[in-house]
Amino acid sequence: MGFIKLVGPISNLDYSIIIIYMMGMVGVGFWFSKRHGDFEDFFLAGRSLTTPLLITTLISTYYGLDVLFGDSQLAFTDGVVAWFGYARPTYAFFLIAAFLLARRLRKENFLSLPDILYRYYGKETRYIGAIASFIYSLPSLSLYAFGMLGEVIMGWPPVIGMAVIGGVGLVYTLTGGFWAVALTDSVQFLVMCLVIALAVPFALDLVGGFDQMIEILPEYYFQTMGDLSIWLVIIYASTGLTILVEPTFYQRIFAAKSYKNVRNALIAGIFIWGSYDWIVTILAMAAKVGVLQGTITVDVDSNAALLTIMVAALPVGALGLFLAGVIATEMSTLDSYCLVAGGNIAYDIYKPAIKPKASDAELIKTTRIGICVSWILGFLIAIAFEQMLGLWVLLASVLISSVMVPILIGLYFPVLRKKMAGTLSSSFGLLSTLILNIYIMIYGTFDPSEETYILSYGNWEILQEYVMYFTVPFSFFGFWLGILIEKNKG
Amino acid sequence: MSGWEIFTWLSTIILGLGSLIVFIFFLLDLPSLLNNQPKK
Repeated sequence: MGFIKLVGPISNLDYSIIIIYMMGMVGVGFWFSKRHGDFEDFFLAGRSLTTPLLITTLISTYYGLDVLFGDSQLAFTDGVVAWFGYARPTYAFFLIAAFLLARRLRKENFLSLPDILYRYYGKETRYIGAIASFIYSLPSLSLYAFGMLGEVIMGWPPVIGMAVIGGVGLVYTLTGGFWAVALTDSVQFLVMCLVIALAVPFALDLVGGFDQMIEILPEYYFQTMGDLSIWLVIIYASTGLTILVEPTFYQRIFAAKSYKNVRNALIAGIFIWGSYDWIVTILAMAAKVGVLQGTITVDVDSNAALLTIMVAALPVGALGLFLAGVIATEMSTLDSYCLVAGGNIAYDIYKPAIKPKASDAELIKTTRIGICVSWILGFLIAIAFEQMLGLWVLLASVLISSVMVPILIGLYFPVLRKKMAGTLSSSFGLLSTLILNIYIMIYGTFDPSEETYILSYGNWEILQEYVMYFTVPFSFFGFWLGILIEKNKG
Repeated sequence: MSGWEIFTWLSTIILGLGSLIVFIFFLLDLPSLLNNQPKK
């Protein structure tokens, strides 16, 4: 692995801020390590999250470096379409989740995403859902990002960055459970939002103000749909589908004090999400202006645009806060996914399959083992895989294809909650997505410009991102096949 | 000042001030959250 280098020096004050921040996170974990009650307290913070805490933990968890650098990469090369075409459609899914999904999920007091599948379709579907959720929650992308940040900020080899920065996240998640995750998320939320907001005047000042941006950037940078095709916009928009089956998102709904808290948090959160995305877009466009002006280095890589302009624009101290904010952005994602993966092992597999009468203490212990297992697997994958974008597509399609159809149908059509329908739908989805992804990754070719694997048949090209358009209908087919089988039996 | 610039400053205010206000509300909630939490 090889990443970008920072173009400016980092002062001791900046390093001190980063170290104090990381020590603070570990401190919170240890403080909570002796304050757990039962498993529900460890895994869902006793279902007591209020609106402000839900806003902070939802925003900081769902926004990782993929959003920070993904949005900024597109904005650097294409302009405001990064917000209008890529970020904005996800807010529609947040509204759907706020008004249609959250009420039903919170009403039935579920504990995890596979728990829903168990109550609607039985234990077989639960196990498949638990495997899909566990695979999706492996923190390989977060650890890869820490490898990058360790190299960029400290000059460490990527493996050391993964182990040290990722290790901090592991320690406080292990010790403090969801209480530590939610409370550290709140601090991380404040740091990541404030530093991005504070960066705006510095960045605009560096490039000579907003008027300079309008004057220097090509016209299409300010066209809301840029020069993207409608199909690409649809594909970008459909990535928001993950929200409807996102395990960490579900965990926060289950952990809320009431449905109203979730709804209010999501509505308030949309404004903060929208502002965050817009500012990241503008900062990346300012970086482009800086490159065209020669204010910042001309050979900057598009995915390093945001880091580069921040290093150039921010004064000592503020840069340390920004870098702590960048680490916070991903740390809050890693801790949440590790905890969900640990819960999948303990509550959704160990308890029903191995020890149905497991005590709360045993479940907490097994969750901690699961957290370690997920972290180690994520670490190994992050070292082994070169193409992280391809890996993300694989992980997201595994989850969506396996659980989306049975969960959404089960939630809204109680009459269709048939055991065989759930089993066939989830297994068809899981198997087809694994087979298709692996097939494309082996027999397709990697296109560096598209950053994806492409399988060609004559004039037809199938991108790895398209897999879900085959596997979700296949999961739907499995569902109806199951309904037919049950009907013939009965 | 262009529409884009006004939108940018509005977003900056919403993000900066909004995140601060949410965090203050969280701090106000914190004592009751911790009091409700069982000790081992």
